[in-house]
Amino acid sequence: MVLSEAPSLVRDFAASLERFARAHLDPSAIDEQGRIPTEVVRGLGELGAFGVSIPQAYGGAGLGLAEVSEVVATLAKRDRSVAATLGLHLGLGTRGLVAFGSEELKARYLPSIASGQALTAFATTEAGAGSDLGAIRTQAHRDGEGLIVNGEKIYVTNGGIANLITITATSSDLGGGRRGHSLILLESTDPGLEIGPEEHKLGLRGSSTTGLRFNEIRIPLDRVIGRPGEGSTHLEHVLAWGRTAMAAGCVGAGREGLERVVEHVTTRVQFGRPIGELPVVRNQVATLAAVLFATEALVAEAAETDDDHRLSRLSMATKIFASEANGEIADEAVQLFGGSGFIEDTGVPLLLRDARITRVFEGANDVLATRLGVMEVTHPSHRPASGERRADALAEDIERALVEAKKRLGIHILRHSAELHRFGRLAVLREATDAAVRRARRTIGDGRVRASASSRCLKWQLLAEDRARTWLSGGPDPDLVQAVTRNLYEEAGR
Amino acid sequence: MNQLHQRVIQVIASLATVPVQEIRPEDRLREDLGMDSITSMELVSALAEELSLEIEVEEAIEITTVRQVMEMASARLSGVEPHGAQ
Repeated sequence: MVLSEAPSLVRDFAASLERFARAHLDPSAIDEQGRIPTEVVRGLGELGAFGVSIPQAYGGAGLGLAEVSEVVATLAKRDRSVAATLGLHLGLGTRGLVAFGSEELKARYLPSIASGQALTAFATTEAGAGSDLGAIRTQAHRDGEGLIVNGEKIYVTNGGIANLITITATSSDLGGGRRGHSLILLESTDPGLEIGPEEHKLGLRGSSTTGLRFNEIRIPLDRVIGRPGEGSTHLEHVLAWGRTAMAAGCVGAGREGLERVVEHVTTRVQFGRPIGELPVVRNQVATLAAVLFATEALVAEAAETDDDHRLSRLSMATKIFASEANGEIADEAVQLFGGSGFIEDTGVPLLLRDARITRVFEGANDVLATRLGVMEVTHPSHRPASGERRADALAEDIERALVEAKKRLGIHILRHSAELHRFGRLAVLREATDAAVRRARRTIGDGRVRASASSRCLKWQLLAEDRARTWLSGGPDPDLVQAVTRNLYEEAGR
Repeated sequence: MNQLHQRVIQVIASLATVPVQEIRPEDRLREDLGMDSITSMELVSALAEELSLEIEVEEAIEITTVRQVMEMASARLSGVEPHGAQ
Protein backbone atom coordinates (compact mmCIF):
# COMPACT_ATOMS: atom_id res chain seq x y z
CA MET A 1 0.00 0.00 0.00
CA VAL A 2 1.11 3.55 -0.37
CA LEU A 3 0.48 5.71 2.66
CA SER A 4 -2.70 7.28 1.39
CA GLU A 5 -4.29 3.84 1.03
CA ALA A 6 -3.28 2.49 4.46
CA PRO A 7 -5.84 1.85 7.21
CA SER A 8 -6.25 4.87 9.49
CA LEU A 9 -4.49 3.19 12.46
CA VAL A 10 -1.32 2.73 10.42
CA ARG A 11 -1.61 6.21 8.93
CA ASP A 12 -1.95 7.72 12.42
CA PHE A 13 1.13 5.84 13.58
CA ALA A 14 3.07 6.88 10.52
CA ALA A 15 1.96 10.48 11.12
CA SER A 16 3.25 10.39 14.71
CA LEU A 17 6.52 8.91 13.45
CA GLU A 18 6.77 11.66 10.88
CA ARG A 19 6.23 14.33 13.56
CA PHE A 20 8.89 12.69 15.72
CA ALA A 21 11.29 12.51 12.79
CA ARG A 22 10.83 16.19 11.93
CA ALA A 23 11.27 17.26 15.52
CA HIS A 24 14.18 15.06 16.53
CA LEU A 25 16.15 13.85 13.52
CA ASP A 26 18.92 16.03 12.19
CA PRO A 27 20.36 14.12 9.21
CA SER A 28 23.41 16.37 8.83
CA ALA A 29 24.34 16.04 12.50
CA ILE A 30 23.81 12.28 12.46
CA ASP A 31 25.97 12.01 9.36
CA GLU A 32 28.75 14.25 10.72
CA GLN A 33 28.85 12.68 14.16
CA GLY A 34 28.53 9.17 12.79
CA ARG A 35 25.94 8.14 15.36
CA ILE A 36 22.27 8.32 16.18
CA PRO A 37 21.62 10.13 19.49
CA THR A 38 20.53 7.83 22.31
CA GLU A 39 17.45 9.92 22.93
CA VAL A 40 16.31 9.29 19.35
CA VAL A 41 16.56 5.54 19.80
CA ARG A 42 14.75 5.85 23.14
CA GLY A 43 12.06 8.03 21.62
CA LEU A 44 11.42 5.56 18.82
CA GLY A 45 11.19 2.79 21.40
CA GLU A 46 8.62 4.76 23.40
CA LEU A 47 6.55 5.27 20.26
CA GLY A 48 6.48 1.50 19.79
CA ALA A 49 8.50 1.52 16.59
CA PHE A 50 10.67 -1.45 17.60
CA GLY A 51 7.71 -3.72 18.18
CA VAL A 52 5.71 -3.03 15.02
CA SER A 53 6.06 -6.57 13.69
CA ILE A 54 6.34 -8.41 17.00
CA PRO A 55 3.20 -10.44 17.79
CA GLN A 56 0.77 -8.86 20.25
CA ALA A 57 1.17 -11.85 22.59
CA TYR A 58 4.70 -10.61 23.28
CA GLY A 59 3.86 -6.93 23.60
CA GLY A 60 4.23 -5.85 20.00
CA ALA A 61 1.75 -4.36 17.55
CA GLY A 62 1.44 -7.64 15.64
CA LEU A 63 1.57 -5.93 12.26
CA GLY A 64 3.03 -7.25 9.03
CA LEU A 65 5.47 -6.42 6.29
CA ALA A 66 3.22 -3.75 4.79
CA GLU A 67 3.20 -1.79 8.03
CA VAL A 68 6.94 -2.32 8.56
CA SER A 69 7.46 -0.90 5.10
CA GLU A 70 5.37 2.18 5.92
CA VAL A 71 7.42 2.77 9.07
CA VAL A 72 10.72 2.45 7.24
CA ALA A 73 9.59 4.66 4.34
CA THR A 74 8.38 7.34 6.75
CA LEU A 75 11.67 7.47 8.63
CA ALA A 76 13.81 7.20 5.50
CA LYS A 77 12.24 10.36 4.15
CA ARG A 78 13.89 12.21 7.00
CA ASP A 79 17.04 10.20 7.77
CA ARG A 80 18.41 7.06 6.09
CA SER A 81 20.66 6.02 8.98
CA VAL A 82 17.76 5.90 11.42
CA ALA A 83 15.62 4.10 8.83
CA ALA A 84 18.41 1.59 8.17
CA THR A 85 18.82 0.91 11.89
CA LEU A 86 15.14 0.36 12.51
CA GLY A 87 14.54 -1.29 9.15
CA LEU A 88 17.26 -3.86 9.78
CA HIS A 89 15.79 -4.52 13.23
CA LEU A 90 12.21 -4.95 11.95
CA GLY A 91 13.29 -6.93 8.89
CA LEU A 92 16.35 -9.16 9.06
CA GLY A 93 17.03 -8.71 12.78
CA THR A 94 13.75 -10.01 14.19
CA ARG A 95 12.06 -11.90 11.39
CA GLY A 96 13.86 -15.20 11.89
CA LEU A 97 12.92 -15.32 15.57
CA VAL A 98 9.32 -14.25 14.98
CA ALA A 99 8.69 -16.63 12.08
CA PHE A 100 10.70 -19.67 13.11
CA GLY A 101 11.71 -19.34 16.76
CA SER A 102 10.47 -21.84 19.35
CA GLU A 103 7.82 -20.65 21.81
CA GLU A 104 10.44 -20.69 24.57
CA LEU A 105 12.84 -18.56 22.58
CA LYS A 106 10.11 -16.10 21.59
CA ALA A 107 8.84 -15.79 25.16
CA ARG A 108 12.38 -15.19 26.38
CA TYR A 109 13.35 -12.44 23.93
CA LEU A 110 10.41 -10.90 22.09
CA PRO A 111 8.98 -8.88 25.00
CA SER A 112 12.22 -6.93 25.46
CA ILE A 113 12.46 -6.45 21.67
CA ALA A 114 8.89 -5.16 21.49
CA SER A 115 9.46 -2.67 24.28
CA GLY A 116 12.54 -1.24 22.59
CA GLN A 117 14.91 -2.49 25.27
CA ALA A 118 16.64 -4.92 22.94
CA LEU A 119 17.84 -3.99 19.46
CA THR A 120 18.70 -6.69 16.95
CA ALA A 121 21.17 -7.37 14.16
CA PHE A 122 21.64 -10.01 11.49
CA ALA A 123 25.08 -11.34 10.60
CA THR A 124 25.73 -13.46 7.55
CA THR A 125 28.40 -11.85 5.37
CA GLU A 126 32.01 -13.03 5.78
CA ALA A 127 35.27 -12.04 4.15
CA GLY A 128 35.00 -15.01 1.77
CA ALA A 129 31.21 -15.11 1.57
CA GLY A 130 29.45 -12.03 0.22
CA SER A 131 27.07 -12.92 -2.57
CA ASP A 132 28.09 -16.59 -2.21
CA LEU A 133 26.37 -17.43 1.08
CA GLY A 134 27.21 -21.09 0.56
CA ALA A 135 30.83 -20.22 1.28
CA ILE A 136 30.30 -19.18 4.89
CA ARG A 137 32.79 -20.66 7.34
CA THR A 138 31.34 -19.73 10.72
CA GLN A 139 30.65 -23.02 12.48
CA ALA A 140 28.30 -24.14 15.20
CA HIS A 141 28.95 -27.61 16.49
CA ARG A 142 27.39 -29.60 19.24
CA ASP A 143 29.17 -29.99 22.54
CA GLY A 144 27.16 -32.04 25.01
CA GLU A 145 23.92 -30.19 25.69
CA GLY A 146 25.15 -26.99 24.11
CA LEU A 147 26.70 -25.44 21.03
CA ILE A 148 30.10 -23.94 20.39
CA VAL A 149 30.28 -21.19 17.80
CA ASN A 150 33.46 -20.08 16.05
CA GLY A 151 33.98 -17.72 13.15
CA GLU A 152 33.58 -14.15 12.13
CA LYS A 153 31.26 -11.88 10.25
CA ILE A 154 31.83 -8.53 8.58
CA TYR A 155 29.72 -5.49 7.74
CA VAL A 156 27.06 -6.22 10.32
CA THR A 157 24.46 -3.43 10.40
CA ASN A 158 23.61 -2.62 14.04
CA GLY A 159 26.64 -4.73 15.01
CA GLY A 160 27.92 -2.21 17.52
CA ILE A 161 24.58 -1.52 19.22
CA ALA A 162 22.57 -4.73 19.01
CA ASN A 163 21.69 -6.79 22.07
CA LEU A 164 20.62 -9.82 20.03
CA ILE A 165 22.20 -11.04 16.80
CA THR A 166 20.90 -13.74 14.45
CA ILE A 167 23.79 -15.37 12.64
CA THR A 168 24.09 -17.99 9.92
CA ALA A 169 26.51 -20.84 10.63
CA THR A 170 27.37 -24.20 9.14
CA SER A 171 26.08 -26.87 11.47
CA SER A 172 26.93 -30.28 10.09
CA ASP A 173 26.32 -32.16 13.33
CA LEU A 174 22.96 -30.63 14.18
CA GLY A 175 21.03 -32.61 11.61
CA GLY A 176 19.39 -31.37 8.46
CA GLY A 177 22.33 -31.87 6.09
CA ARG A 178 26.13 -32.05 5.97
CA ARG A 179 26.40 -28.62 4.37
CA GLY A 180 23.35 -27.40 6.15
CA HIS A 181 23.27 -23.98 7.73
CA SER A 182 21.45 -22.98 10.86
CA LEU A 183 20.14 -19.67 12.13
CA ILE A 184 21.45 -19.11 15.62
CA LEU A 185 20.64 -16.40 18.15
CA LEU A 186 23.51 -14.80 20.03
CA GLU A 187 23.41 -12.24 22.81
CA SER A 188 25.91 -9.41 22.62
CA THR A 189 27.02 -10.35 26.15
CA ASP A 190 27.79 -14.00 25.30
CA PRO A 191 31.39 -14.67 26.45
CA GLY A 192 33.63 -14.97 23.40
CA LEU A 193 31.68 -12.53 21.25
CA GLU A 194 33.94 -9.66 20.18
CA ILE A 195 32.59 -6.57 18.49
CA GLY A 196 34.93 -4.85 16.07
CA PRO A 197 35.37 -1.11 15.56
CA GLU A 198 32.81 0.91 13.60
CA GLU A 199 33.45 1.00 9.86
CA HIS A 200 33.99 4.39 8.26
CA LYS A 201 31.53 4.40 5.37
CA LEU A 202 30.59 6.43 2.30
CA GLY A 203 27.04 6.77 3.56
CA LEU A 204 24.64 5.68 6.28
CA ARG A 205 27.29 7.01 8.64
CA GLY A 206 24.88 7.22 11.56
CA SER A 207 24.09 3.53 11.25
CA SER A 208 26.36 1.14 13.13
CA THR A 209 28.40 -1.26 10.97
CA THR A 210 30.98 -3.52 12.57
CA GLY A 211 32.65 -6.89 12.29
CA LEU A 212 31.94 -9.60 14.84
CA ARG A 213 34.23 -12.39 15.98
CA PHE A 214 33.04 -15.57 17.68
CA ASN A 215 35.66 -17.29 19.85
CA GLU A 216 34.45 -20.55 21.31
CA ILE A 217 31.08 -19.07 22.25
CA ARG A 218 29.15 -21.59 24.32
CA ILE A 219 25.38 -21.33 24.19
CA PRO A 220 22.43 -23.60 24.91
CA LEU A 221 21.08 -25.75 22.07
CA ASP A 222 17.76 -23.95 22.20
CA ARG A 223 19.37 -20.83 20.66
CA VAL A 224 18.97 -22.46 17.24
CA ILE A 225 16.15 -20.67 15.41
CA GLY A 226 13.86 -23.01 13.52
CA ARG A 227 14.95 -26.38 12.18
CA PRO A 228 18.66 -27.15 12.66
CA GLY A 229 20.46 -27.47 9.35
CA GLU A 230 17.62 -25.82 7.43
CA GLY A 231 18.71 -22.26 7.93
CA SER A 232 18.99 -21.77 4.17
CA THR A 233 15.25 -22.29 3.77
CA HIS A 234 14.44 -19.98 6.68
CA LEU A 235 16.93 -17.49 5.29
CA GLU A 236 14.94 -17.14 2.07
CA HIS A 237 11.94 -15.89 4.00
CA VAL A 238 14.01 -13.63 6.24
CA LEU A 239 15.84 -12.11 3.28
CA ALA A 240 12.55 -11.53 1.44
CA TRP A 241 11.35 -9.45 4.41
CA GLY A 242 14.66 -7.64 4.69
CA ARG A 243 14.80 -6.76 0.99
CA THR A 244 11.26 -5.44 0.96
CA ALA A 245 11.84 -3.33 4.07
CA MET A 246 15.01 -1.97 2.50
CA ALA A 247 13.15 -1.17 -0.70
CA ALA A 248 10.63 0.77 1.40
CA GLY A 249 13.53 2.87 2.66
CA CYS A 250 14.34 3.64 -0.97
CA VAL A 251 10.75 4.82 -1.43
CA GLY A 252 11.02 7.24 1.49
CA ALA A 253 14.34 8.59 0.33
CA GLY A 254 13.05 8.81 -3.23
CA ARG A 255 10.08 10.90 -2.05
CA GLU A 256 12.41 13.28 -0.25
CA GLY A 257 14.68 13.52 -3.26
CA LEU A 258 11.82 14.31 -5.66
CA GLU A 259 10.35 16.90 -3.29
CA ARG A 260 13.71 18.62 -3.01
CA VAL A 261 14.08 18.57 -6.79
CA VAL A 262 10.62 20.04 -7.43
CA GLU A 263 11.15 22.78 -4.86
CA HIS A 264 14.47 23.64 -6.42
CA VAL A 265 13.53 23.64 -10.10
CA THR A 266 10.41 25.72 -9.47
CA THR A 267 12.34 28.40 -7.56
CA ARG A 268 15.80 28.45 -9.09
CA VAL A 269 15.76 31.16 -11.78
CA GLN A 270 18.21 31.12 -14.64
CA PHE A 271 17.88 32.88 -17.99
CA GLY A 272 14.93 34.80 -16.55
CA ARG A 273 12.70 31.93 -15.54
CA PRO A 274 12.57 28.95 -13.20
CA ILE A 275 14.68 26.15 -14.62
CA GLY A 276 11.74 23.82 -14.14
CA GLU A 277 10.12 25.42 -17.17
CA LEU A 278 12.89 24.29 -19.49
CA PRO A 279 11.72 21.29 -21.53
CA VAL A 280 14.86 19.26 -20.76
CA VAL A 281 14.47 19.81 -17.04
CA ARG A 282 10.75 19.07 -17.20
CA ASN A 283 11.55 15.76 -18.81
CA GLN A 284 14.14 14.94 -16.15
CA VAL A 285 11.66 15.70 -13.38
CA ALA A 286 8.88 13.76 -15.14
CA THR A 287 11.23 10.79 -15.42
CA LEU A 288 11.96 10.86 -11.71
CA ALA A 289 8.26 11.15 -10.87
CA ALA A 290 7.44 8.17 -13.10
CA VAL A 291 10.27 6.08 -11.66
CA LEU A 292 9.11 6.85 -8.12
CA PHE A 293 5.49 6.05 -9.02
CA ALA A 294 6.49 2.60 -10.26
CA THR A 295 8.76 2.05 -7.25
CA GLU A 296 6.01 2.86 -4.76
CA ALA A 297 3.63 0.55 -6.61
CA LEU A 298 6.08 -2.35 -6.71
CA VAL A 299 7.16 -2.03 -3.08
CA ALA A 300 3.52 -1.87 -1.98
CA GLU A 301 2.70 -5.06 -3.88
CA ALA A 302 5.66 -6.93 -2.43
CA ALA A 303 4.90 -5.71 1.09
CA GLU A 304 1.26 -6.79 0.83
CA THR A 305 1.71 -10.23 -0.69
CA ASP A 306 0.87 -13.10 1.63
CA ASP A 307 2.28 -15.79 -0.65
CA ASP A 308 5.79 -16.74 0.48
CA HIS A 309 6.90 -18.07 -2.93
CA ARG A 310 5.64 -14.95 -4.68
CA LEU A 311 7.31 -12.75 -2.05
CA SER A 312 10.64 -14.55 -2.45
CA ARG A 313 10.63 -13.80 -6.18
CA LEU A 314 9.01 -10.38 -6.03
CA SER A 315 11.27 -9.13 -3.23
CA MET A 316 14.31 -9.64 -5.46
CA ALA A 317 12.76 -7.64 -8.29
CA THR A 318 11.57 -5.00 -5.82
CA LYS A 319 14.96 -4.64 -4.16
CA ILE A 320 16.73 -4.25 -7.53
CA PHE A 321 14.23 -1.75 -8.87
CA ALA A 322 13.84 0.36 -5.73
CA SER A 323 17.57 0.66 -5.07
CA GLU A 324 18.29 1.71 -8.65
CA ALA A 325 15.37 4.14 -8.61
CA ASN A 326 16.70 5.63 -5.39
CA GLY A 327 20.13 6.03 -6.94
CA GLU A 328 18.67 7.58 -10.09
CA ILE A 329 16.64 10.14 -8.13
CA ALA A 330 19.54 11.04 -5.84
CA ASP A 331 22.01 11.35 -8.70
CA GLU A 332 19.66 13.47 -10.79
CA ALA A 333 19.01 15.67 -7.74
CA VAL A 334 22.71 16.49 -7.57
CA GLN A 335 22.67 17.29 -11.29
CA LEU A 336 19.59 19.54 -11.11
CA PHE A 337 20.88 21.42 -8.08
CA GLY A 338 23.96 22.38 -10.08
CA GLY A 339 27.03 23.35 -8.09
CA SER A 340 25.06 23.47 -4.84
CA GLY A 341 24.22 19.80 -5.30
CA PHE A 342 27.87 19.06 -4.62
CA ILE A 343 27.98 21.06 -1.38
CA GLU A 344 27.28 19.03 1.77
CA ASP A 345 25.49 21.86 3.57
CA THR A 346 22.54 21.60 1.16
CA GLY A 347 21.88 18.00 2.21
CA VAL A 348 21.73 16.91 -1.43
CA PRO A 349 25.04 14.99 -1.52
CA LEU A 350 23.86 13.04 1.53
CA LEU A 351 20.91 11.72 -0.50
CA LEU A 352 23.40 10.24 -2.97
CA ARG A 353 25.89 8.94 -0.41
CA ASP A 354 23.18 7.24 1.63
CA ALA A 355 21.59 5.68 -1.46
CA ARG A 356 24.69 4.05 -2.89
CA ILE A 357 24.92 0.95 -0.70
CA THR A 358 21.35 -0.12 -1.45
CA ARG A 359 22.44 -1.56 -4.79
CA VAL A 360 25.03 -3.68 -2.98
CA PHE A 361 23.83 -4.96 0.37
CA GLU A 362 21.04 -7.46 0.98
CA GLY A 363 22.11 -9.08 -2.28
CA ALA A 364 24.15 -7.30 -4.95
CA ASN A 365 21.73 -6.34 -7.71
CA ASP A 366 23.33 -8.20 -10.57
CA VAL A 367 23.59 -11.40 -8.54
CA LEU A 368 19.92 -11.10 -7.62
CA ALA A 369 19.05 -10.44 -11.26
CA THR A 370 20.83 -13.65 -12.24
CA ARG A 371 18.93 -15.63 -9.59
CA LEU A 372 15.71 -14.06 -10.79
CA GLY A 373 16.68 -15.09 -14.30
CA VAL A 374 16.99 -18.72 -13.16
CA MET A 375 13.43 -18.47 -11.82
CA GLU A 376 12.21 -16.89 -15.06
CA VAL A 377 13.73 -19.69 -17.11
CA THR A 378 12.70 -22.59 -14.88
CA HIS A 379 9.35 -21.25 -13.64
CA PRO A 380 8.09 -18.84 -16.31
CA SER A 381 5.65 -16.31 -14.99
CA HIS A 382 2.15 -17.00 -16.35
CA ARG A 383 0.98 -13.47 -16.53
CA PRO A 384 -2.56 -12.81 -17.71
CA ALA A 385 -2.98 -9.93 -20.14
CA SER A 386 -3.76 -6.68 -18.35
CA GLY A 387 -5.44 -4.93 -21.25
CA GLU A 388 -2.85 -2.15 -21.01
CA ARG A 389 -1.32 -2.14 -24.48
CA ARG A 390 2.24 -1.18 -23.67
CA ALA A 391 2.52 -3.34 -20.55
CA ASP A 392 1.16 -6.35 -22.42
CA ALA A 393 3.48 -5.71 -25.38
CA LEU A 394 6.48 -5.61 -23.05
CA ALA A 395 5.49 -8.87 -21.42
CA GLU A 396 4.94 -10.51 -24.81
CA ASP A 397 8.31 -9.30 -26.08
CA ILE A 398 9.99 -10.76 -23.00
CA GLU A 399 8.21 -14.07 -23.42
CA ARG A 400 9.19 -14.22 -27.09
CA ALA A 401 12.82 -13.49 -26.25
CA LEU A 402 12.78 -16.23 -23.60
CA VAL A 403 11.33 -18.80 -25.99
CA GLU A 404 13.97 -17.89 -28.58
CA ALA A 405 16.79 -18.15 -26.05
CA LYS A 406 15.60 -21.52 -24.76
CA LYS A 407 15.29 -22.81 -28.32
CA ARG A 408 18.79 -21.57 -29.17
CA LEU A 409 20.56 -22.79 -26.03
CA GLY A 410 18.36 -25.58 -24.70
CA ILE A 411 19.32 -26.78 -21.25
CA HIS A 412 22.61 -24.89 -21.52
CA ILE A 413 20.84 -21.60 -20.93
CA LEU A 414 21.22 -22.55 -17.28
CA ARG A 415 24.99 -22.08 -17.58
CA HIS A 416 24.82 -18.82 -19.46
CA SER A 417 24.81 -16.39 -16.55
CA ALA A 418 24.66 -13.41 -18.94
CA GLU A 419 21.42 -14.78 -20.43
CA LEU A 420 20.00 -15.51 -17.01
CA HIS A 421 20.97 -12.01 -15.92
CA ARG A 422 19.24 -10.34 -18.87
CA PHE A 423 15.99 -12.22 -18.24
CA GLY A 424 16.21 -11.23 -14.62
CA ARG A 425 16.60 -7.60 -15.67
CA LEU A 426 13.63 -7.90 -18.00
CA ALA A 427 11.56 -9.49 -15.24
CA VAL A 428 12.26 -6.48 -13.03
CA LEU A 429 11.00 -4.09 -15.70
CA ARG A 430 7.91 -6.21 -16.29
CA GLU A 431 7.03 -6.44 -12.60
CA ALA A 432 7.48 -2.69 -12.10
CA THR A 433 5.35 -1.92 -15.14
CA ASP A 434 2.54 -4.23 -14.14
CA ALA A 435 2.54 -2.86 -10.60
CA ALA A 436 2.41 0.70 -11.92
CA VAL A 437 -0.54 -0.13 -14.18
CA ARG A 438 -2.46 -1.78 -11.36
CA ARG A 439 -1.78 1.19 -9.10
CA ALA A 440 -2.94 3.71 -11.70
CA ARG A 441 -6.14 1.75 -12.22
CA ARG A 442 -6.82 1.58 -8.48
CA THR A 443 -6.22 5.27 -7.90
CA ILE A 444 -9.30 6.99 -6.54
CA GLY A 445 -9.85 10.65 -5.96
CA ASP A 446 -10.75 13.65 -8.08
CA GLY A 447 -9.90 14.02 -11.76
CA ARG A 448 -6.61 15.72 -11.03
CA VAL A 449 -5.39 12.88 -8.78
CA ARG A 450 -6.38 10.25 -11.30
CA ALA A 451 -4.83 12.19 -14.18
CA SER A 452 -1.59 12.55 -12.24
CA ALA A 453 -1.40 8.80 -11.62
CA SER A 454 -2.33 8.03 -15.19
CA SER A 455 0.31 10.34 -16.67
CA ARG A 456 3.06 9.03 -14.38
CA CYS A 457 2.09 5.48 -15.24
CA LEU A 458 2.21 6.19 -18.96
CA LYS A 459 5.55 7.96 -18.62
CA TRP A 460 6.90 4.92 -16.78
CA GLN A 461 5.63 2.54 -19.46
CA LEU A 462 7.49 4.53 -22.13
CA LEU A 463 10.63 4.49 -20.00
CA ALA A 464 10.28 0.76 -19.46
CA GLU A 465 10.02 0.15 -23.21
CA ASP A 466 13.19 2.14 -23.69
CA ARG A 467 15.08 0.44 -20.88
CA ALA A 468 14.06 -3.03 -22.00
CA ARG A 469 15.36 -2.48 -25.52
CA THR A 470 18.99 -3.39 -24.85
CA TRP A 471 18.07 -6.51 -22.94
CA LEU A 472 15.51 -7.61 -25.52
CA SER A 473 18.06 -7.30 -28.30
CA GLY A 474 20.35 -9.75 -26.53
CA GLY A 475 22.31 -7.68 -24.06
CA PRO A 476 26.06 -7.00 -24.30
CA ASP A 477 28.00 -8.80 -27.04
CA PRO A 478 29.82 -11.54 -25.09
CA ASP A 479 32.69 -11.91 -27.59
CA LEU A 480 33.40 -8.20 -27.54
CA VAL A 481 33.22 -8.09 -23.75
CA GLN A 482 35.59 -11.06 -23.58
CA ALA A 483 38.06 -9.38 -25.95
CA VAL A 484 38.13 -6.11 -24.00
CA THR A 485 38.50 -7.69 -20.57
CA ARG A 486 41.02 -10.32 -21.65
CA ASN A 487 43.41 -7.52 -22.62
CA LEU A 488 42.77 -5.63 -19.41
CA TYR A 489 43.26 -8.64 -17.16
CA GLU A 490 46.43 -9.65 -18.98
CA GLU A 491 47.81 -6.14 -18.58
CA ALA A 492 47.03 -6.40 -14.87
CA GLY A 493 48.99 -9.63 -14.74
CA ARG A 494 45.95 -11.86 -14.06
CA MET B 1 29.06 -47.95 -8.66
CA ASN B 2 29.27 -48.11 -12.47
CA GLN B 3 31.34 -45.92 -14.72
CA LEU B 4 28.43 -43.66 -15.66
CA HIS B 5 27.66 -42.95 -12.02
CA GLN B 6 31.33 -42.22 -11.37
CA ARG B 7 31.32 -39.64 -14.15
CA VAL B 8 28.18 -38.09 -12.68
CA ILE B 9 29.85 -37.89 -9.26
CA GLN B 10 32.91 -36.22 -10.77
CA VAL B 11 30.83 -33.51 -12.41
CA ILE B 12 28.94 -32.92 -9.15
CA ALA B 13 32.21 -32.79 -7.20
CA SER B 14 33.69 -30.13 -9.46
CA LEU B 15 30.63 -27.87 -9.22
CA ALA B 16 29.97 -28.38 -5.51
CA THR B 17 33.70 -28.19 -4.67
CA VAL B 18 33.32 -31.30 -2.55
CA PRO B 19 35.80 -34.23 -2.73
CA VAL B 20 34.53 -37.09 -4.86
CA GLN B 21 34.85 -39.58 -2.01
CA GLU B 22 32.47 -37.53 0.16
CA ILE B 23 29.54 -37.67 -2.25
CA ARG B 24 26.88 -40.31 -1.66
CA PRO B 25 23.84 -41.23 -3.77
CA GLU B 26 21.44 -40.20 -1.02
CA ASP B 27 22.96 -36.71 -0.71
CA ARG B 28 20.69 -33.75 -1.29
CA LEU B 29 22.26 -31.18 -3.63
CA ARG B 30 21.41 -28.27 -1.39
CA GLU B 31 21.44 -29.43 2.20
CA ASP B 32 24.30 -31.93 1.92
CA LEU B 33 26.42 -30.53 -0.90
CA GLY B 34 25.75 -26.82 -0.43
CA MET B 35 24.59 -26.21 -3.99
CA ASP B 36 22.38 -23.18 -4.39
CA SER B 37 19.72 -22.56 -7.02
CA ILE B 38 22.23 -21.40 -9.61
CA THR B 39 24.79 -24.20 -9.23
CA SER B 40 22.07 -26.86 -9.14
CA MET B 41 20.87 -25.69 -12.53
CA GLU B 42 24.44 -25.45 -13.85
CA LEU B 43 24.93 -29.06 -12.81
CA VAL B 44 22.23 -30.37 -15.11
CA SER B 45 23.60 -28.38 -18.02
CA ALA B 46 27.16 -29.56 -17.27
CA LEU B 47 25.97 -33.17 -17.19
CA ALA B 48 24.08 -32.78 -20.43
CA GLU B 49 27.28 -31.55 -22.05
CA GLU B 50 29.57 -34.13 -20.43
CA LEU B 51 27.35 -37.09 -21.27
CA SER B 52 25.80 -35.71 -24.49
CA LEU B 53 22.28 -35.92 -23.06
CA GLU B 54 19.11 -34.18 -24.18
CA ILE B 55 17.48 -32.71 -21.08
CA GLU B 56 14.66 -30.22 -20.88
CA VAL B 57 14.79 -27.24 -18.54
CA GLU B 58 11.56 -28.42 -16.90
CA GLU B 59 13.23 -31.70 -15.94
CA ALA B 60 16.16 -29.92 -14.34
CA ILE B 61 14.00 -28.27 -11.70
CA GLU B 62 12.74 -31.63 -10.42
CA ILE B 63 16.22 -32.84 -9.49
CA THR B 64 17.21 -32.39 -5.86
CA THR B 65 19.40 -35.41 -5.01
CA VAL B 66 22.49 -37.16 -6.37
CA ARG B 67 20.45 -40.33 -6.87
CA GLN B 68 17.95 -38.48 -9.07
CA VAL B 69 20.83 -37.18 -11.17
CA MET B 70 22.19 -40.71 -11.59
CA GLU B 71 18.76 -42.11 -12.46
CA MET B 72 18.14 -39.38 -15.01
CA ALA B 73 21.51 -39.99 -16.66
CA SER B 74 20.97 -43.77 -16.74
CA ALA B 75 17.46 -43.40 -18.14
CA ARG B 76 18.51 -40.93 -20.83
CA LEU B 77 21.32 -43.12 -22.01
CA SER B 78 19.16 -46.25 -22.04
CA GLY B 79 16.14 -44.45 -23.56
CA VAL B 80 13.86 -45.34 -20.59
CA GLU B 81 12.09 -42.73 -18.40
CA PRO B 82 13.44 -42.70 -14.82
CA HIS B 83 11.20 -44.09 -12.07
CA GLY B 84 8.75 -41.46 -10.81
CA ALA B 85 9.31 -39.05 -13.69
CA GLN B 86 6.21 -37.59 -15.33
